[in-house]
Amino acid sequence: MIETRRITLPVSEETIRSLNAGDFVELDGEIVLTAGLPTHQRIIEYVNAGKTLPIDITGGTLFHLGSYSRDVSGAFEVLYINPTTSTRFNAVMPTIIKKFGLRMVGGKGGLDRACADVMKEVGCVYLSFLGGGSPLLSDAVKEVKSVAWDDFVSHYRLVKLRVETLGPLVVGIDAKGNSTFDQLSDRARDRMPDILDGLDEDRAKHRGLP
Amino acid sequence: MAITYDMVKSVSASLYEGCLKKIPEDTKEALRKAGEAETNEGAKKILTMMLRSAHAAETTNRHVCSDAGVPVYFVKIGTAARLDGNIKQAISDGFDHLVETINPPILKHVTNPLTNERGYKGKDMPIVSYDLIDGADYVEIVCQPKALGSGRWAALEIFSFPTLEVIEKYVMDCVLKAGSQHCPPVVIGVGIGGTFDLCAKIAKAATLRPFGQKNPEPTLADMEERLLKAVNKTGFGPMGTGGDTTALAVHVAYASGHGFTPVAVCFNCWINRRAGARIYNDGKVERFE
Repeated sequence: MIETRRITLPVSEETIRSLNAGDFVELDGEIVLTAGLPTHQRIIEYVNAGKTLPIDITGGTLFHLGSYSRDVSGAFEVLYINPTTSTRFNAVMPTIIKKFGLRMVGGKGGLDRACADVMKEVGCVYLSFLGGGSPLLSDAVKEVKSVAWDDFVSHYRLVKLRVETLGPLVVGIDAKGNSTFDQLSDRARDRMPDILDGLDEDRAKHRGLP
Repeated sequence: MAITYDMVKSVSASLYEGCLKKIPEDTKEALRKAGEAETNEGAKKILTMMLRSAHAAETTNRHVCSDAGVPVYFVKIGTAARLDGNIKQAISDGFDHLVETINPPILKHVTNPLTNERGYKGKDMPIVSYDLIDGADYVEIVCQPKALGSGRWAALEIFSFPTLEVIEKYVMDCVLKAGSQHCPPVVIGVGIGGTFDLCAKIAKAATLRPFGQKNPEPTLADMEERLLKAVNKTGFGPMGTGGDTTALAVHVAYASGHGFTPVAVCFNCWINRRAGARIYNDGKVERFE
């Protein structure tokens, strides 16, 4: 039976460093999210210009989650959230993780080795969300704290939410440099010669060859 | 009676909505069976969550995934079908109608590839292909919204007189490259032969085939069986947790061509979006998954 660990945000570096790749977690507290590459680029522009972000992410989270938000009488409501592919943010994440000392990043599909190295240095984990888990993940949203940069299309905005029991999520990359994504790819690559041999054998069998 | 603009518009919109909120019955069944057979506890847990998510979306009228994809329709027109009005416009208007009326609303995914600007409309949207069915008194519309997660891993390569071994190795290369990025367990569509364009088309059409329907071509039925086994030996598992369930099915289609043989590989994520309907001359609408 797999245990799911409940984590309250903000989270300490110590707790983050105690997590292992493959662990299941659930989150309570405030999270920040966006699904836009232009959003990441704007974050870096702000960093370079020494400007303060409209939503502070220092020591916090930045998840690759898309959300549908809309302005209803001056207040934003968020109708649903869901993860997006993180690997397309590989190039910008090391700078952002380091600059803001992020404790948690996440989405789906993982991040590359350069990101994992920075995460190890900073004390940050990558959490893998269920793609196609929108109804379950959205039920965890309890309050919309703020929505910034609404000049972007909805899923590119920077959104801060308060969540309860968000998950279960899987630690895909821990703060020790272990990445389940790398491990699985390496293992699949190692297995490939045997897999191809198996295909040859099955092909011979299917052809009725001895 | 005839098949009208209004009927086609309404069916086009409702098929799309169905794809977003309900995963096909055979896919749910395949996920259930995979969950029972899984030996990896984490993978089992993820498969259970997938079924919970699918159930929640269906029963509470919500989207399974926030990536509503781009509108893709496959239309087959029966030569005995009587058409009344601009059927082509009706499909496009059907998608517009969906955007205006669907609850919860969908996000803007139609992207101009030159500027990366996103909206609900764009050049050549919706993506519609047409075919004919001799003698049929209906129009068949199949909707398969395509999202980024699985859409971006499709690939095609052209070989010269490849052996089955070469073809299968290429499929495995594509599987290795996609890893667990395409929201597995996936349905894999493989096209072999034809021309550049036809090969991609038959690979895509292969993903629409319901589970359990045996490939009528014995060579391909065998290939599907051994490829599925091979893909699941990679061990990526559901959403990359590790495990025995990386693909639910491999469907292979072929077309004759010249000795230059394209091989196309595409993926449907676990949601396996597909919904179809036949609209008959007498107004009857028959739905299928």
